[in-house]
Amino acid sequence: MAYPSMGEAHRRVTDYLGRFSDAVSTQDVASLKPLLSLSSASPSLLSLADALNLLQDAIRLIKQSEKWSQLAEIVAPLFRCLQSYRLSNLADAYPAYEKAANAFIQEFRNWDSAWALEALYVIAYEIRVLAERADRELSANGKLPEKLKAAGSFLMKVFGVLAGKGPKRVGALYMTCQLFKIYFKLGTVHLCRSVIRSIETARIFDFEEFPQRDKVTYMYYTGRLEVYNENFTAAEQKLSYALAHCNPHSEANIRMILKYLIPVKLSIGILPKDWLLEKYNLVEYRNIVLALKRGDLRLLRSALEEHEDRFLRSGVYLVLEKLELQVYQRLLKKIYIIQKQKDPSKAHQMKLEVIIKALKWLEIDMDLDEVECIVAILIHKNLVKGYFAHKSKVVVLSKQDPFPKLTGRPVNA
Amino acid sequence: MMMNQGGITETLAPPGTNSLEDRHVIDARHGQPSSYSSSTVGSEAPSWTPHSVNNSFTGNGYSSGSTYGFEQQAQPPRRDDINSATEASSLSLGSTSVPQDYNGYMTYQNPTNSYGYGTTGYTGYYSGYQQQSNQSYSQPAGAYQSTGSPYQPISSFQNTGSYAVPPSYSNTYYGPGDYQTAGTYPNSTYSTQTTWNDGNYANYNTYQYSNYPSTSSAYGSGNSASAPAQYQPQYKQWTDYYAQSEVNCAPGMENLSVASSSNPECPTPGVPDGTQASNSQPPPTAVPSWRPEPGPSGLPSQQPSVVASAGHDNYWKQHAAPGFQNHNSAAGQSTYYQPLDSKNAYGSYSDGQNSTSNQGPNLQYPIVHQVPQIHQAPQQISPTLDPRRGSKVQIQTNPRIVSNLALGLTKTDKAGSATMAVAKPAYIGVSLPKPSDKALSGDASDPALKPATFPKSLRGYVERALARCKDDAQIAASQEVLKELITSATADGTLYTQDWDAKPLFPLPEMDGLSNTFQSPLPLPTLRRSPGRRTKSRWEPLPEEKLVNKTPPLMTEPVKYGGYMNNRNRKPFVGNSESKDGLNTTNFLAVEQKTASFQKPFKRQRLSNSLTTADNGDASSDSDKESSLTAFYSGAIGFSNTPEERKKRESRSKRFEKAHGSRVEISHFKPKSAGSANLYARRATAIVLSKTFEESGSKAVEDIDWDALTVRGTCQEIEKRYLRLTSAPDPATVRPEEVLEKALAMVQNSQKNYLYKCDQLKSIRQDLTVQRIRNKLTVKVYETHARLALEVGDLPEYNQCQSQLKTLYAEGIEGCHMEFSAYNLLCVILHSNNYRDLLSSMSRLSNDAKNDKAVKHALAVRRAVTSGNYVMFFGLYRTAPNLNSCLMDLFVDKMRYKAVNCMCRSYRPTVPVSYVAKVLGFAYASSANGGSDEKDSVGLEECVDWLKAHGACLAADNNGEMQLDTKASSSSLYIPEPGDAVAHGDSTLAVNDFLTRASS
Repeated sequence: MAYPSMGEAHRRVTDYLGRFSDAVSTQDVASLKPLLSLSSASPSLLSLADALNLLQDAIRLIKQSEKWSQLAEIVAPLFRCLQSYRLSNLADAYPAYEKAANAFIQEFRNWDSAWALEALYVIAYEIRVLAERADRELSANGKLPEKLKAAGSFLMKVFGVLAGKGPKRVGALYMTCQLFKIYFKLGTVHLCRSVIRSIETARIFDFEEFPQRDKVTYMYYTGRLEVYNENFTAAEQKLSYALAHCNPHSEANIRMILKYLIPVKLSIGILPKDWLLEKYNLVEYRNIVLALKRGDLRLLRSALEEHEDRFLRSGVYLVLEKLELQVYQRLLKKIYIIQKQKDPSKAHQMKLEVIIKALKWLEIDMDLDEVECIVAILIHKNLVKGYFAHKSKVVVLSKQDPFPKLTGRPVNA
Repeated sequence: MMMNQGGITETLAPPGTNSLEDRHVIDARHGQPSSYSSSTVGSEAPSWTPHSVNNSFTGNGYSSGSTYGFEQQAQPPRRDDINSATEASSLSLGSTSVPQDYNGYMTYQNPTNSYGYGTTGYTGYYSGYQQQSNQSYSQPAGAYQSTGSPYQPISSFQNTGSYAVPPSYSNTYYGPGDYQTAGTYPNSTYSTQTTWNDGNYANYNTYQYSNYPSTSSAYGSGNSASAPAQYQPQYKQWTDYYAQSEVNCAPGMENLSVASSSNPECPTPGVPDGTQASNSQPPPTAVPSWRPEPGPSGLPSQQPSVVASAGHDNYWKQHAAPGFQNHNSAAGQSTYYQPLDSKNAYGSYSDGQNSTSNQGPNLQYPIVHQVPQIHQAPQQISPTLDPRRGSKVQIQTNPRIVSNLALGLTKTDKAGSATMAVAKPAYIGVSLPKPSDKALSGDASDPALKPATFPKSLRGYVERALARCKDDAQIAASQEVLKELITSATADGTLYTQDWDAKPLFPLPEMDGLSNTFQSPLPLPTLRRSPGRRTKSRWEPLPEEKLVNKTPPLMTEPVKYGGYMNNRNRKPFVGNSESKDGLNTTNFLAVEQKTASFQKPFKRQRLSNSLTTADNGDASSDSDKESSLTAFYSGAIGFSNTPEERKKRESRSKRFEKAHGSRVEISHFKPKSAGSANLYARRATAIVLSKTFEESGSKAVEDIDWDALTVRGTCQEIEKRYLRLTSAPDPATVRPEEVLEKALAMVQNSQKNYLYKCDQLKSIRQDLTVQRIRNKLTVKVYETHARLALEVGDLPEYNQCQSQLKTLYAEGIEGCHMEFSAYNLLCVILHSNNYRDLLSSMSRLSNDAKNDKAVKHALAVRRAVTSGNYVMFFGLYRTAPNLNSCLMDLFVDKMRYKAVNCMCRSYRPTVPVSYVAKVLGFAYASSANGGSDEKDSVGLEECVDWLKAHGACLAADNNGEMQLDTKASSSSLYIPEPGDAVAHGDSTLAVNDFLTRASS
């Protein structure tokens, strides 16, 4: 790394200060953004960082000009952050950046218009990314990773600045999404509730007025939350909204949405086409779909076992596990169809033994009581219409539509 | 105390501004009232107007301001009364009545404090001051809350009032009278508030006493001759008065000296204010109170007094907290208090004056009449008093006052020490004041009417009822019953028509079973007694006085008082703790807010109790009192001073700011008070004390060098009881690791019950923690304890162990990791219905763990639960390894209910109960012990019982086999209310259940 000369360093620093101060005074957000974007690792920022490390009294430079010293609260910590960042000391860079960001939102609060919203987006993003990296660094050093948590509370503060009435509200959803990302990463999703409430209960601002990308992100995360709550109808709505409005070219995002939407759709009886799974590389669901089509319990179980870690991590494991009942339903339906082919008059009476035999073929060993229980649950959940006669151990199926389709509604609780 | 001091200072300096403003407004009003005051009628009218003004103030959120206004209003009337009716007799009566009123007020104050309803109470107050007070009396709970809110305002008002008053009131010699009343107030209130306020109260009492005497002398000339003489001089020179008062008080308290010092500074202002306030207050308060509830007739007057007293209480408390020294040092503070007192006294005086002076009464009458017939009830009470008064009037009243004062000061203390130190003193004070207040108020409001209102036969009835009581508790209980009787009679209109002479006495109430919560009521009786005794010894007319006192108590509800007492105690405490801020009002508000939710109050009770106990101790010996008080205060201060505490408190009070406008004002006050805190040397000492507390406290948590402090135990005892550490551990009582190992073995082999083992294990855990031992032994201890806790269903203890084990395992210490991750999993499955938690615990399981038998079982249980597979669940229950079944036990009932629901839906037409019993684990539960058929039948019976309890329809079929009628049952199933339901929702933790299981 070739160090610049003192004069060069001085020039770089004053140049940065000049640009920063000009951008603020002319409210030129486009030129302000790159000045704050740490993670972009732009050459100008990096060379500035070198200059700062060489020129240890940059703070004095700021104080030289009236115009700059107004921004000292923002720029001085920012310089410190750049220095630490350049030295790969992220644990120190983060607090400095947060301090600069704090000073920035103080200023932002005082600006009537929301001209600097884009810059605030940059700051929020940088805060989150920097915190994540700092946490990685901290835990690698055996220290407590706490920066992301701090970033969460800082962004909550930013959210408070934006959440009120007025033109700045447009930015609230962006902050919400950044918060979601943090909370999901930290596993503190219960904290999402307060933000969601303030977004969804506010009548002063129509949700549709938020930027599209934020709406999609928001719907994606809230849809995931609904999956956790096993609220499949709402989850399906939200995730479908996200899918419909997502930029069709960003396949990674579509894949992320589908990762949750497919299990949700499965649980309400809607199966995906194979090409969809192929296209978005969601092959882990293929066997599950197949099991549902065939009524193959064994296949379902093996598919679940095979991808257990993945499903557990993404949080759809329990959703997929519940598909078992649908597989049973499918199995019973198959038996029913076969019986009907043999003897239509007695097709609606299904002996328990037959079911047990069918399960045996699938190499699933279940005793009478267990199967009886499964049948009882199927009837109870309205996956099978009919009743069970305990004495004769026979399932008596309704003659009309004995296996109702779910078609978009979840299995009865 | 610090807080109080701070509050005082704030009130003084800044207060000056805030309160002054308020006061000024009030004064303006007062000015009007005063003009009115010349004519009693006029005074009443003014009082009303002021009230309205006050109301508006309160509306603004300055409850205190409103109260002030009230007080001021009350004061004007009093002045008038005094001036116009200075007639010796009337005066004497007035003075007496005033004290009584004050007492009543005192009680009110208690309620208000406890409730902390600042806002609600305020609104009520504002709208109809009297009404609120009445309401509070009639409906203890509601009333309390409302009063509580008023209280706070009052206190603040009092301060302001005192400020405002000074100028205008210098002329009025009511001051003295007021003081006397105040003195009475203090007694009552103080006694109630005792614990914290004891010191304060004592001060108050003394103050009041001194004041009173002077007033009485001036006013009643004849009534309390001895006292009056002193007072008159005092009057001239407040300082002198105070000094005198100090002398008077001296017997009672150290406060006297303080009072004297304080008096010089503020006396005049305070007195005038007090007088004005009291005058204005009485009329308005009386009217409203009357309207709402007849019984509380005394209440109206009391209310004003209450307000005043509340303010007084607060003030007192604050003063007390600082300690007597504070009083002395903070003359301004004391003066403030005095003004308040004086106000109270004034209020009572005014009442008394009104009653005594025809004009006064007349004026009041109209108002009262308007208000309602409710009046009658109060009047009734008062009548009894009135007759006495009429006959003995001046003398009695004076004695009462004196007695009250004395009692409040000395007796309360004595009584407190003798009887339940904590609650009793407070109660005593309250109860006495209240009755007297009531009676007085009644008199004041309707001097003429009162006597008439209370039929003689009723009086006799009351006397008879009380005469058979053997102890205070009985008296209190009887009084309560009487009160109810009278109120209901008044409400029915049968008060006069009923033949009280012929009416059989109600059975003596049983007082023995009273629990702690009821202690407050009990204390009241004792308090009453002590006052009564004193009066007896000192004054010959005692019997009548007693009656008066008693009747008032009857009117009021002892229970309420108790509640008030608690509230008061809490409030004072809060006030003290928050007093750092320096604003009494703020403190009160905060307290009220806190108290608003009942749970919090309960928690506070402890504090209050402790305080009260301290007070009691104080009561026993004056010198002791001081030291103990200071200790308490300093303790309180220390608490309050810790930054965390302060933050917490602030955030707590902030919560209420939005809802209550008054809060905002409070917040303003706080800074001022804090700034002023340094002004007073005593405060400074208090601060030093608190600082030491702070240091020790904060150190314990954060800045300790643990390595240096780690203890190496030397204790060789194997058995050791668990005692939560309150200080640094003493190596001599800590067992080293070798001994702990033996101790663990001892516990494991012990045949004693779980409670013993739990205690021992906790002490082992403590010793381990203290010595920072984290190794296999630690894990073993926690595992042992967790298992024991699981076996008896002690989930809280289990959770403690589990969370410790988690970190211990994470540190790589070996143990039965799998077993406990299975437990953990089961806990998540069964207790949190949170799929996210479940997912994260599942995803955290290692492959090893997933192959572990126990974990596998737990995962299978999870599957069974999420899929609702009851057959699988009970199958797993039967094969549960380790203690998994203990955790499953907790889910069995839910699972069974779901299963039966499912069966009823899917089976037709019937299911044999034997099958249900088999599938749902009944047969197994019973057959665990042995035989097959026999056990099955036992399980069957159990199952039948269970099904019946859940509303299932059962019928025997042709073979005599019980069948579950699924169709009929499907609509009739329900979850029965758990018979052994416990407040915390976990019946497995019910004490009885727990004990029986633990001991087996």
